[in-house]
Amino acid sequence: MSTLVDLFTLLIFPGGLMLGIAALAYEWVNRKLVARLQNRIGPRWFQPAADFVKLLAKEEVLPEQVVAGLFYMLPIIAVAGVFTAALSVPMFGAQPASSYPGDLVVTLYLLGLPTMCLGLAGSNTLGRFSLVGATRALTQFFSYEAPFMMAMLGPALVAQSWSSTEIVAHAGGRWLLLSQPIGFVVAMIGLLGKLEMPPFDAPEAETEIVAGALTEYSGRGLALFHLAKDAELVIGLALIAALYLGGGSTWWMFLLKTLVLLLFLAGIETLVTRLRIEQTVGLWWRYVSMLVLVQWVVTIVWEGLLL
Amino acid sequence: MDNGREQNETFIVPIGPQHPALKEPGHFEFSVDGEIVQSATARLGYAHRGIEKATEERTWVQSQYILERVCGICSHIHAVAYCQGVETLAGVEISPKAMAIRALAAELERIHSHMLWLGVAAHEAGFDTLFMYTWRDRETVMDLLEGLSGNRVNYSVNLLGGVKFDVSPELKEAILKGVDFLEERNKHYLDVVTGDEAFLRRTRGIGVMSDEEAERLGAVGPTARASGVARDVRIQAPYAAYDIFPVELVIETDGDLLARFVVRIRELFESFRLIREIVNNLPEGDLTVRMPRKVKAGETVSRVEAPRGELFYFIRSTGQEMADRVKVRTPTLCNWGSVLTTVIGHQLADVPMILVGIDPCFSCNDRMIRLRSRDGDRSWTWEDLRRYGIEYYR
Repeated sequence: MSTLVDLFTLLIFPGGLMLGIAALAYEWVNRKLVARLQNRIGPRWFQPAADFVKLLAKEEVLPEQVVAGLFYMLPIIAVAGVFTAALSVPMFGAQPASSYPGDLVVTLYLLGLPTMCLGLAGSNTLGRFSLVGATRALTQFFSYEAPFMMAMLGPALVAQSWSSTEIVAHAGGRWLLLSQPIGFVVAMIGLLGKLEMPPFDAPEAETEIVAGALTEYSGRGLALFHLAKDAELVIGLALIAALYLGGGSTWWMFLLKTLVLLLFLAGIETLVTRLRIEQTVGLWWRYVSMLVLVQWVVTIVWEGLLL
Repeated sequence: MDNGREQNETFIVPIGPQHPALKEPGHFEFSVDGEIVQSATARLGYAHRGIEKATEERTWVQSQYILERVCGICSHIHAVAYCQGVETLAGVEISPKAMAIRALAAELERIHSHMLWLGVAAHEAGFDTLFMYTWRDRETVMDLLEGLSGNRVNYSVNLLGGVKFDVSPELKEAILKGVDFLEERNKHYLDVVTGDEAFLRRTRGIGVMSDEEAERLGAVGPTARASGVARDVRIQAPYAAYDIFPVELVIETDGDLLARFVVRIRELFESFRLIREIVNNLPEGDLTVRMPRKVKAGETVSRVEAPRGELFYFIRSTGQEMADRVKVRTPTLCNWGSVLTTVIGHQLADVPMILVGIDPCFSCNDRMIRLRSRDGDRSWTWEDLRRYGIEYYR
């Protein structure tokens, strides 16, 4: 019986199927929002799903001189990493499937997996665009990852726990956004960087390096990488909603909070110009990491005074 | 980069002939060190269509229609240059009204071309919102061109000896209204381009070309004017109605990408002013005058200011029904030097923007050239080409 429950958790809800559907739906919402803000019509509601299915059915071209095993495995590892990360994040108003001390740290590391896979996938091929894209993806990874993680760990400091469930329980519906506004902003910008959305889309800057690290990918590999990124969007939004907005206790609260966050992201995406890669690195290390340190100091001093 | 082999070789990033940054075929090779461009080469000629040769087998009237198709964006100005040249050769003087309508269409075309460029350039910088907005507003001027001629592109306003279309009172109202709307929108875009901090970081101080350099590299049009070179055929050698409706020179001195944006947007304001003036003071007269079928023997040079810069036509007639030779030099060809020189030392990320900064038009500038080297003439006959083709695919 418990095996059946575990399988259900892994394959249907909240992992697997549900997350997959949510990923495609959130991608559509994001694309539609950006399109409307840019005065375009935008895609129809089933477009991401249609793209996904169609890509799965397409031939996957193996470029010359790549390590074939790595080429086929990387997208699967990326998807697996993200879907595993989903297991300990409170989503859709439900309790996370597995909760243990320190699951937040594991989740954050697992969320970094797609970017690592992307970097490896790019450097696996000999294509110029892929190589430049991979270099940029990894450079960006090393610049946003630390501030993003620190921003996500801010609430953990307050709750004195590394488990996302306990942090939500500790907050008890209070919005940590109010006490840690800088951390919240850094987390949101970090999510943009993680998802390679504008202004941090230099690793896949279409007008410079075609599709960046994914230039050589087609068919199933490309579909899976896209799915991994979409799922990352949902999980990222769910994490921020859980840590900073008091979590979603019911499914409609979850939807409301994550969609408001998504609107915020789409707004930034619409308003900004792509940063060059060295501008990205400069932004993260010069300003954002300093901001998040300030947030930490404030939080620690505040907690110290209270206790 | 990924293995030992790459370290000693120059890492070359190819752009084109198929690349998302280029909407037309051209091939560029940028050798980079990390992200910094060390050298650049261009290879053109993918869209050579033999238009100059084709004009030698068509009558004077037919040639106009094929020359309008040299460029899809600035088709009108090609016809103006050609018609002007042929009219000079034939000794025909067209009416002031026809001249004014030629200038009117040319300015409308400049608006559509510059707004198109503004969108494309914003897209290269990853600022898609500006791209979508400028292209949406550009529809206004496309509608005006359609109202004037019935076509959105390749409007074919000209005829040898005049123009085909008159400005009706309703069209006059529509033009004045459209121009007011566009002026307001472009004031906003000028604010965005000069005020958006993130966008300025991609344009200010990027691709700087000094005025001496612009002179040396033979830059033309807005690219030269952004570097402080006062070069505008409409002012230096007024054609069509530009002597009756004089143009004020728009010039910037910084020579960077930002200056190229500002020059083009300020030129739009100048175009709006000119259009208002022309529409409100349209001279009276006939639209066309009679043209002879055969054009007197002789040769002439016809220069006009296309949206991208000086457009040059050389036309030679031997007194027949057909041209003996038509030579076209489009502004893009003059501006390549500036791109290949200014990209060196810049980031790879800036390359598409610098490339697009001259508003390149590839198919316009592809010409056949005949190279004469010391080891003999290397031109091939049709038979040689055919044999080469058979050998190549054997």
